[in-house]
Amino acid sequence: MKAKNIGLVMKKDIKGLGHERTILLAILLQLFIALFSSFLMVGLTSMYDPTALQKNSTIRYPVAYVGTDSDLRDLMASDRGLRVYDMELAPAIQSLKERKLAAVVYVPDTKSDAVDPVKITLYTIKNDIQAAVVNVKLKDSFVKYEAELRQIRTERIDEEPIPLDIPKSTGGSDFYEFVYGLLIPLLVIMPAIISSALVIDLITEEYQNNTLETLLSTPIRANEIFWGKVAAALIIVPLQAGFWLFLLMLNGIMIVNAPQILAYVTLAAMVLILVASITALYYRERTAAQFVYSTAIVVLMLFSLALPDNPMNIIAKLATGSAGVEQWVVLGLMIAVVMILSVLTNLYAAKSMRSNLAPR
Amino acid sequence: MGYSRDILTIAKWEVKRSVGTMGKNVLPVALILIILLIAVTGFTAKSGLHLQDGIYKVGTDDPDFAALFSGDARFSVDLADPGTIQRNQDYYDLMIFNRVVYVHDTDRGKAAAKTMERDYTKYRSNVYNQQSDLFAAYPLWIDVQEVVSELDFTATQSGQQVSLRPRSSQPPVPTGPVEPVALPEASIGISSEELRSSLQQSTTQTSKVSRYTDMFSGSESPLGTYKTPDQLSPPLPFDSIILVFLFIFPLYFMSQFYMMSIMNERVGRRGELLLSTPARPSAIILGKALPYFVGMVGISALLTLWIKASPFIVLPLIPVILFFLAVALLIGMISRSFKELSFISIFFSTIATSYLFFPSIFANIHVVSMISPLTLVVLTLQGTAITATDYLYSTSLFWLSALVLFYVGVVNFREERLFSQSDLFAKTSDFIASTLSLKRPYISLFLFNAFLIPFVFMVQLMLLVLFFNLPMPLSLILLLIGAAFVEEIAKSLGIYSLIRKAPEFFTWPVIVGASFATALGFLFGEKLLLFVTLSQITESVFGSILFTSIGVLWMPFLLHFSCVLIIAASIKKGGEIGYGLGLLAAVAVHCLYNMYLILGWFS
Repeated sequence: MKAKNIGLVMKKDIKGLGHERTILLAILLQLFIALFSSFLMVGLTSMYDPTALQKNSTIRYPVAYVGTDSDLRDLMASDRGLRVYDMELAPAIQSLKERKLAAVVYVPDTKSDAVDPVKITLYTIKNDIQAAVVNVKLKDSFVKYEAELRQIRTERIDEEPIPLDIPKSTGGSDFYEFVYGLLIPLLVIMPAIISSALVIDLITEEYQNNTLETLLSTPIRANEIFWGKVAAALIIVPLQAGFWLFLLMLNGIMIVNAPQILAYVTLAAMVLILVASITALYYRERTAAQFVYSTAIVVLMLFSLALPDNPMNIIAKLATGSAGVEQWVVLGLMIAVVMILSVLTNLYAAKSMRSNLAPR
Repeated sequence: MGYSRDILTIAKWEVKRSVGTMGKNVLPVALILIILLIAVTGFTAKSGLHLQDGIYKVGTDDPDFAALFSGDARFSVDLADPGTIQRNQDYYDLMIFNRVVYVHDTDRGKAAAKTMERDYTKYRSNVYNQQSDLFAAYPLWIDVQEVVSELDFTATQSGQQVSLRPRSSQPPVPTGPVEPVALPEASIGISSEELRSSLQQSTTQTSKVSRYTDMFSGSESPLGTYKTPDQLSPPLPFDSIILVFLFIFPLYFMSQFYMMSIMNERVGRRGELLLSTPARPSAIILGKALPYFVGMVGISALLTLWIKASPFIVLPLIPVILFFLAVALLIGMISRSFKELSFISIFFSTIATSYLFFPSIFANIHVVSMISPLTLVVLTLQGTAITATDYLYSTSLFWLSALVLFYVGVVNFREERLFSQSDLFAKTSDFIASTLSLKRPYISLFLFNAFLIPFVFMVQLMLLVLFFNLPMPLSLILLLIGAAFVEEIAKSLGIYSLIRKAPEFFTWPVIVGASFATALGFLFGEKLLLFVTLSQITESVFGSILFTSIGVLWMPFLLHFSCVLIIAASIKKGGEIGYGLGLLAAVAVHCLYNMYLILGWFS
């Protein structure tokens, strides 16, 4: 095999991609997803943790308190996000319907040390994003009041949980796990999946357009054509994944260990591309190859996710900066897998591409 | 008669062909893969998904807490004496000594603390719901009652936080008539054992996989509207993710087969045979689509049966299926190569999935979620009744755009289009041009722009979803510019394609006439569709930017007309570069108009 010939085939395929301007679509897609995930972040954060957003912190939501006076009223009144009014139930609910109130709380005259629980009624507006925000705000007061009531009834409790003092964390770190534990691993692995689908196209196209014969009549050998295509698909993976990481960092998401992440993604891509190219060589026809391959990839991904210290998990750990020695062990294992797969694929490619050229 | 027989014949061919090619080579492999898939799914369900394992480091000298938090795979817990842990304190996100948690002051540390708080709450509920006196452990219950507001949701989204920022310390006084409301009962009315079992149910759902599948159990919780304070949070959106995978993924898969079948007709001009039969292009297209349509509806119905949901779930999916098929048809007809096919279809599917999926996250929270048919699916699963208006509201755009796309496919299903190798943009422009007639340019431009409206609305609603959560002035400005861009590009499509097709035909008077027809068609379609479906959204400030619905008719008409004219004139003068410049100028004019007339700036 000559590196020069592999390079020639690779260049031809990359040029094809550039010529069709399809790569533009891939970049647009990345921008789009980046935009959407920032939407998701802002939207969900404002919903689950209203204090995280500066603009909400000055708003005091008007809430009506109806019924028997209790400690809950004081707890609500001391919350700076709420403004509590004492009202009658009927006008309060009418005001709620007119959106002059954000919620109505009704408290019955159950004694705090009664046998029965205190059942309060919370009226909110249906299908409303602000109602969700107000619920989160009211929850604080409710939880404090529950603790108070529990304290009063403590003698009736047989076994208390071991107390643990966890400081209230500040800031919008609620979606840390979503970003680092889900978004980043999925986003960086996407170029690997796209490239493996691409290699199927590159290979089956030569069969289905009957262009393979022409290529084989040149001095370039069958194996060189094959590895040229694999190289073309592989080389865009670290570029795309790197672009992802860059976009995420622009969004203010710190990512440490970017080089290792890229190494992992490239190796994972190599495994996927080799599996895909074997499928493509076998079927020589896009529909069948893509179908079988995409089913196979679901099996493969699910299986690897079920293993501890799988590559996706290591990527998550690398991004958060909590990966230890295991990252090097798994990296070594992946290199070994890639090498074995490459040897096998090389044997198969030579055999398959020399035999007859008709699609199966 | 003959027409429908043609469709059936072609559908039969299609089934035979795909069974023939897929049959002997693919089926055995697919069978093995499906068996493997089931095995792997079982394995995964047992061992859990190890995606976030060990991202937080915890150090403690307390064996009880070490055991407790080791149960959560996200924590890697070290049990050691305090001295050893403190020497490595930068390594740990959390340290627990003497029942106090010390949090490392980083984002990761804070996130770890939040996760630990949730775990601890779960542990505490587990201890409390074993108590013999349940009402001592859970002394507070909240009955959540939802009140339907008399103002629609646009009031809060219109940017003015209406009366929610009271200035006085006096309680608000309702303006409407006050209806008497019965005071709620003080007693809870459910036995403590029933409450206990449902509490235990909600705390034992610790497995990462079961959390996703719970919503398909279908039964309402026996607690009804009763909640403990800890349970009072907005509904988790993650169920919708599973929904999308379950319902949309197979549909997307099947539409790929249709796309490939169309593409295969073009590889090596194989489709010439089919085109030479007496069957009309529309019969060929529909006949080829029929097996896939039946298959997709069948799969959705099977899934519905499997999760034991109401059969009405399939109804909102049908327009989505048609839309997918129509898009698949066009992608199969436009792509020059398999690579292009892959990229375009990945691009399309991501955008379509986000359009369907992201709004449905807010299914229980915001009416804007109704723009996605998937929201109807979510609501039906939850047992909420869907009205005909809801159905019309969230599916009409899908019905209309699927029809328009099929039409574009049918007129272009000809030899010179199918087998040409021109690039994506040129081909798209050709496709558009062949839906327009040079014999009757004005009428076709009018109709073309009227039919473009569903797509414009879809893109603009997407913008609304994208931006509505950003802080107020920013979201408005982004929406303003984005919406103007979308509208101007849409209006220019038809006239651009026609000028490109026949530049000599477009003298100055014709350009003015064509701009007039374009503006008229756009305005007509806009008003018609607004009238039928979208009155809810359009009443808000956002809506008025998107759809210029405020004001008398001649004002928006003048705007549309002058903007198209700017673009058309620049194309005639400057060709491709002129088009770009003209577009920018038109967007600027459009933005100024919106700022001045709707937002009342600079006045």
